[in-house]
Amino acid sequence: MTELSLPSRFDGIAEKLNGPNTLGNSRAFWIAFAVGMFVMVAYPFARGSYAAGQTSLFLVYGLLALSLSLIWGYTGILSFGQVAFFGIAGYTYAIVSLNLGGVFGQTVALPIAIAVSTLSAFVLGYFMFYGGVQNVYVAILTLVVTLVLETFMAQTAGSEWAVGSVKLGGFNGIPGIRNFALGVEGASISLSGSGFYWFVLALLLGAYLGGRALVNSKYGYALVAIREDAERTAMFGYNVKRVKLAIFTFSGALAGLSGVLYSTWGNYMDPSVFTITFATIPIVWVTLGGRESLLGAIVGTIIIERLRLWFSVNASEFAIVFVGVILMTVVLVLPRGILPGIRQIYLFLNENGPRAAVDHGQTVIKARIREALQTVGIDASDPDTPSSSEVVRE
Amino acid sequence: MSTPQDPNVREQPAVAATGSNRETILSTKGLTKKFGGLTAVDNVDFSVDEGELRCLIGPNGAGKSTLLELITGQLTPTDGEIYFDGTDLGELEPHERMDAGISVKFQSPHIYESLTVEQNLHVPLQRTSRDIEPVMERTLDRIALTEKADEPASDLSHGEKQRLEIGMAITLDPKFMILDEPVAGMSIDETGDIADLIQSLHDDGMTFLVVEHDMEFVRKISERVTVLSQGSILEQGPIEEIENDEQVRRIYLGENA
Amino acid sequence: MTSGFGATGALTPLIIGDFLGFLDSIGVPVVQLLQIADNFAFITLAAIGLTVIFGMMGVINLAHGEFIMMGAYITTLSVNVASLPLPVAMLLGALGTAAFGAVIERTIVRRLYGRLLDSMIVTFGLGLILTQGTRIIFGNTLQSIGTPFGEVPGYTYSGYRVLLMFVAIAVLSAAYLVFTRTEFGIRARATIQDAETARAMGVDTDRMYTTTFAIGSGLAGLTGALYAPSATIVPGMGQAFLVESFVTVVTGGSTVLLGTTLAGGVLGTIDAIFSNLYGNFFGQLALLLTAIIVIRLLPDGLTGLAYRIRDKLGERQ
Repeated sequence: MTELSLPSRFDGIAEKLNGPNTLGNSRAFWIAFAVGMFVMVAYPFARGSYAAGQTSLFLVYGLLALSLSLIWGYTGILSFGQVAFFGIAGYTYAIVSLNLGGVFGQTVALPIAIAVSTLSAFVLGYFMFYGGVQNVYVAILTLVVTLVLETFMAQTAGSEWAVGSVKLGGFNGIPGIRNFALGVEGASISLSGSGFYWFVLALLLGAYLGGRALVNSKYGYALVAIREDAERTAMFGYNVKRVKLAIFTFSGALAGLSGVLYSTWGNYMDPSVFTITFATIPIVWVTLGGRESLLGAIVGTIIIERLRLWFSVNASEFAIVFVGVILMTVVLVLPRGILPGIRQIYLFLNENGPRAAVDHGQTVIKARIREALQTVGIDASDPDTPSSSEVVRE
Repeated sequence: MSTPQDPNVREQPAVAATGSNRETILSTKGLTKKFGGLTAVDNVDFSVDEGELRCLIGPNGAGKSTLLELITGQLTPTDGEIYFDGTDLGELEPHERMDAGISVKFQSPHIYESLTVEQNLHVPLQRTSRDIEPVMERTLDRIALTEKADEPASDLSHGEKQRLEIGMAITLDPKFMILDEPVAGMSIDETGDIADLIQSLHDDGMTFLVVEHDMEFVRKISERVTVLSQGSILEQGPIEEIENDEQVRRIYLGENA
Repeated sequence: MTSGFGATGALTPLIIGDFLGFLDSIGVPVVQLLQIADNFAFITLAAIGLTVIFGMMGVINLAHGEFIMMGAYITTLSVNVASLPLPVAMLLGALGTAAFGAVIERTIVRRLYGRLLDSMIVTFGLGLILTQGTRIIFGNTLQSIGTPFGEVPGYTYSGYRVLLMFVAIAVLSAAYLVFTRTEFGIRARATIQDAETARAMGVDTDRMYTTTFAIGSGLAGLTGALYAPSATIVPGMGQAFLVESFVTVVTGGSTVLLGTTLAGGVLGTIDAIFSNLYGNFFGQLALLLTAIIVIRLLPDGLTGLAYRIRDKLGERQ
């Protein structure tokens, strides 16, 4: 912490934000971070309000990615259900704000929507964690919950499916959600374009720094300890179920906030948020960026969404194939994600200089290629000698 | 997380006192655990006195590990009760039992491989100590890992991992320490280190229940020995008596010879 | 469309119809039972490939739905394009998917043993590629091959769906026999329990994993093949099986085949009741709630319950 050499009252803050559970703690990291933030803040001036409004979707998704990084990357609980809480909050916001109408309705809808998604996460989490559900079973159950929600929302096309004056609308969803706004009639702000962009950026920054403080706190140690060995951690007197439930509920709230912003961004809500494809997307973001890194989750989100946008314009039918390929490649080749990878390269360069780094890189790449070739070679070779793969892996 | 449990619990009187003049800290009554058709622990009445260093021996499959897991709460008994320090453990979750003063080192090292040695110790420490640094230093010194404090735990040798896990368990400052095969797979030197560590903790007043196969080690540290066979207590007493017992020799020690 | 089943095929619905008419006449609620049997068949067939791979290898294959889709596509294309008889086409569907599964195990899944969640994610990615790849190559839908046999006389019920119930039982029995009574099954289970010991005893564990994964994949492909005549053939068709198969894995518990059978029976009944009364969504919701309740009350699923009952009965004797 001392290397920051900031005035002493910042030391306390720095101490809370830095720690073993985040990758970037050095002065160089924070300088790079500040430069990055500057670029992000300046973006609307360079590209205009419309582009900023479009790009703000990536930042909205960034909140969803953070929620998954906390629950999966830090606590080791793979949840396919973050999009469920995201969707529940979005739908709730739509229903409440459209029923009440006006800016006041929107202001009231925000806490209600987040409360409903938080409560949903709490109830599901309670049944899972206090029911002794673990590992892959959590992943399966959260996925099933999401798919059941899709089935439910898809069959609400009839006029009998309405809450107050708002029809759920089946596949067509709920249109006409207004831009994000807070306040009361006469004294309110409504956000779109650059304004919405900066607002979401501020929320994302807050969530990121808050997340850093969380994972570097005592609580963060408990999360990581549970990820590494839940049984051992219980034997140190930690109430593992309660910690899991708490972080799952918190993640549900964060996903809910993201869902509300999403519904006001696109001005509609439809069941596509509960599909298996959309449920996978956050996992792709977080896997690519680095699941044990909060910043990685956000960076991964922006990269993937930028590329998905490119595909949807230029080769829409290959977008999903691309997502699948990314998912498989990253897990197989770079299981910790790109940000930890970059950090390793940075550390290596610092210690050994660029020359050694290039040599080392060549060795690693050669080894990888050889390994890959041998895998394929084994497939082509006689199936009666599969034990040779043992040798390869050594 | 670190909220203490119901304050009433510890004030209940101790039960099932044995003939010893010391207070009983742990006792079981009719403890039974069945797995399908197999009875792993069969109607066991067992007790350990405060400040004792008890060894639990017996052939493979005698039910030793099952008995330990019933005490820690990883397993739920089919029948019977366990009392610790006057509390009925039956209602308590594993983590609540640890709060009550039990601590455990598992058979195979259970440490956080991806964390450093210091971070490993940090996990139990932050629950129990306000002032972490001095306890951290003392513990590192005690388990002789001060030099390796910043190394990832995955880089440690088997013996060092065992020491680290014991270190983690003692930072909870337990009244009752369970060690499941603390010297399995260790060199003679390492075994000696562990014996010294256990002795020094025992001298400080910690109660131990140790499962171990290494009879040399048992002879070195133990006061009293309990022999478990086929889920029941076969014999109990000082180590010299046990080693000369015909039945025990036939069933257990004979197997080792 | 009954090509390959011949004259006996045409007779089947008549025989079934007579049999059901007889049951009806003695007061058996035939229509309801048919619905339950149909759901039982659907659920067990949907789950069997997934549970074999999960139960034997601990790997959740999230491309399971796409393996089913693959079986259905191979079957449909074999009939439509190559004009093969339906049974042969179905066999091809199962074998083709099994071969594909073997390749996937060799190249991908193998690298992820011990990383369960990662293997889930990778197979998920594979599923996305398969679905969309199929859409790119074959378009949004294939022409359906139509259901053989027609309806059971006197009931608005497809004779083919009734037949599937018997097929489901046959598949479960065959899988049971393979994994408990054959040399392969014994070796496979030894590998699953303790790979190192099995290797020391001369079992080629790598091959066991590949074969087991191939069998699980083949069973998924067979499911797709069996439902090909009565389903709409679209790239996303595998998703129709997902909820049922995952709920079965969760509910069934640790013992693969017994768990699947029990869960299939229980869930099939529940699904039949709720789907018929309130529609597909409530059927799925009921399944989900059942799974959650079962997990809450029975830590080891229905298998655990069955074993506990057996122990209790054993004690009394």
